[in-house]
Amino acid sequence: MAVGSLHHNGLFFRTLTEEQVQDIHRASCEILEQTGMVIHHEEAVELLRSAGAHVEAGNRVYFPTHLVEKAVASAPSRVTIYNRQGKPAMYLEGSKVYFGTGSDTLNYLDPVTGERRSWRQEDVAQAVRVVDYLPQIDFVMSMGLLSDVDRRMINREQYALMLQNSVKPQVVIAEDGDTLKDIIEMAAAARGGKDKLKQKPLFMLYTEPTSPLQQPRESTDKLLIAAEHGVPTNFACGGVAGASVPTTVGGALVQANAEALSGLVIHQLKAPGAPFIYGYGNSPMDMRTMQAVYGTPEAVMFQGGLVNLAQYYQLPSWGYAGCSNSKVTDEQAVMEATMFTLMGALQGCNMMHDVYYMEFGLTGSLEFLLINNEVIGRARRMLDGIATDRESLAVDAIKRVGPGGNFLGDEHTAKHFKENWLPELSDFNSYENWAALGSKTMAERAREKVIAIMQSHQPEPVSAEVQSRIAEILAQARVHVGAKE
Amino acid sequence: MAEFNKMSEMVIAGDFAGVKALTQKMIDDQVDPISIINDGLMPGMNVVGVRFKAGDMFVPEVMMSAKAMAAGIELVKPLIAESNMPTAGKVLVGTVKGDLHDIGKKLVNMMLESAGFQIIDLGVDIAPAKFVEAVKEHKPDVVGMSALLTTTMLSMKDTIDALKEEGLRDRVKVIIGGAPVTQSFAEQIGADGYAPDAAAATDLCKQLTAN
Ligand code: B12
Repeated sequence: MAVGSLHHNGLFFRTLTEEQVQDIHRASCEILEQTGMVIHHEEAVELLRSAGAHVEAGNRVYFPTHLVEKAVASAPSRVTIYNRQGKPAMYLEGSKVYFGTGSDTLNYLDPVTGERRSWRQEDVAQAVRVVDYLPQIDFVMSMGLLSDVDRRMINREQYALMLQNSVKPQVVIAEDGDTLKDIIEMAAAARGGKDKLKQKPLFMLYTEPTSPLQQPRESTDKLLIAAEHGVPTNFACGGVAGASVPTTVGGALVQANAEALSGLVIHQLKAPGAPFIYGYGNSPMDMRTMQAVYGTPEAVMFQGGLVNLAQYYQLPSWGYAGCSNSKVTDEQAVMEATMFTLMGALQGCNMMHDVYYMEFGLTGSLEFLLINNEVIGRARRMLDGIATDRESLAVDAIKRVGPGGNFLGDEHTAKHFKENWLPELSDFNSYENWAALGSKTMAERAREKVIAIMQSHQPEPVSAEVQSRIAEILAQARVHVGAKE
Repeated sequence: MAEFNKMSEMVIAGDFAGVKALTQKMIDDQVDPISIINDGLMPGMNVVGVRFKAGDMFVPEVMMSAKAMAAGIELVKPLIAESNMPTAGKVLVGTVKGDLHDIGKKLVNMMLESAGFQIIDLGVDIAPAKFVEAVKEHKPDVVGMSALLTTTMLSMKDTIDALKEEGLRDRVKVIIGGAPVTQSFAEQIGADGYAPDAAAATDLCKQLTAN
């Protein structure tokens, strides 16, 4: 299959040629074959051994290329994720793009007080409700790390809050296999059974190798559980170029691809045909500050490469957008986020997360999320390309209006102007009118709107029955992990 | 001696092979091995530290300098009795139980090493009992714990408690770090120090081992 993303009306984007993609594929296979991976999981090692992989020292696994190619062939080329109401919400196929938030930021920039502080349950609930409201945000992640629940319960409590406060599908982080099982139980309760959840997935699992070239026990555990339950999952290296993956974009791709493929092989051995979302990320290390920074030009190009690899493998793709290293919603935040979002949209990455991340994933801001919502709207409009059917070419209208006329009074304008992008937050006023409205910056307008959404938006609640089932699952888990109420 | 200056320059430039050759030549010329370290290798590395802080050098360049210095030290080490070996102190480090993040910890190690500390890295996912065992075995001056997950931070307190129980707490300084860790958390769990990055960790260790 040819690589590249064909959007609408001939708009096409490609980062790598097919030859380059094959070079990367071959290099990754060479690494898997000759360097292999350390896999801290007995069942996975056994699966690989009996499928023909070479194992040394108990957990060093060398992958023959035929295993990789078999896994690539057996994984589905498209995956549909459904919302809580059972309606299809995301078609992960072709060049379709979807956006969502990130998980587990430590700090919340409180839109009301402007304070940078820890997240509480009510904050996460509100943040999820804002996501539920925003038209351009397609899926939800936990956003904030809860500071007011028992630490061992964080991921479960976060999932309950996502389920209760939005109908949108979720991407989840789970600390371990037991946590994932409880999350599956909660999702199944909302869906009306595990079979139905398998038929219509409500969430995707986000799990990952530990670069370079290791699979920790928990990650692999979760990968196998996901395969077994038909829960869509990725196996996404979170590379830090220059530290855990090579500093060159090509080298980072070779290694991240090898790691993702190693996960795919295990996943498909466990359950051939189970849904797998291919992708990974790269936050290159800044060699002055030693921070893992998001959305550098190299990280954005890297994502273009991974999308082309996904297309070559015919797998849905996973990546990033709308994130920043800035500490506040300022010019840098919007610049970094906008570049990533527009490029990601053009790249045709199916699922992009971390929209709203600030301070390299340590802080989350809802006003920034709102600005991102507007940026995504603009980007999506551009993916429409230019329509060239007779009506859009407006030949009749041009003739009608003629020399010296005005299109404002023509029916063609009235009929089509709404196809054009309309701002919600961006200010298109005259100076006088902008001043009369309080001379507000975009961030100030975004903050006001967030507060208004928080006060007014009521997401569709879960039924009383599902609610009590969630409470039951959480209560059992608390006993199981020995947590207090 | 001009050769010491040349050696320092080579360390600054990260000239691995050059440092090795010059160290060997000095050894052959009967230069005092301790002086090779103190007057040739270390002064170069000290300049590197200053330049890095000023933003004139980048992390990978610092690493190359540290590697060059280590190449020299490796050659002179067999010639020096262990007790005479100049060292800033011994630091035992590990990422705590349940946590696999180690990029930051490795950076801290490399920076400490380049400042003359001896590092014993236990690896990742290190339970309190393992820290205790290692303290008994290696008798470090400082124990450094790294955690990037809020869920694993508590294990730092467990380790400190375990050290107390074994009567080892007074013999070592305990420092902690990692993105979610703060100074106030360090105080809360009774650690001796916290540092937000690898350069600050080096200063902290110097300060804690000075007295
Ligand atoms: C790279 C990364 C990973 C890699 C780690 C690879 C590796 N070999 O280390 C992978 C992809 C494996 C990973 C996994 C996970 N991660 Co992670 N990860 C990161 C990321 C993006 C960067 C961390 C990093 O390396 N930074 C660069 C280094 C140089 O900085 P540093 O670690 O902070 O270290 C500096 C200082 O803190 C200090 N320091 C560090 N240690 C010490 C020790 C001492 C003694 C001292 C004095 C100083 C000190 O000095 C260092 C150098 O300056 C952070 C986000 C972030 N920006 O921090 C998330 C982050 C830490 N991860 C997070 C999460 C949730 C996870 C997972 C649970 C996700 C999952 N899907 O399962 C797993 C957990 C796996 C596990 N059990 O540990 C969260 C943590 C939230 C929390 N506090 O609980 C973060 C904050 C991202 C987020 N917002 O979601 N992750």
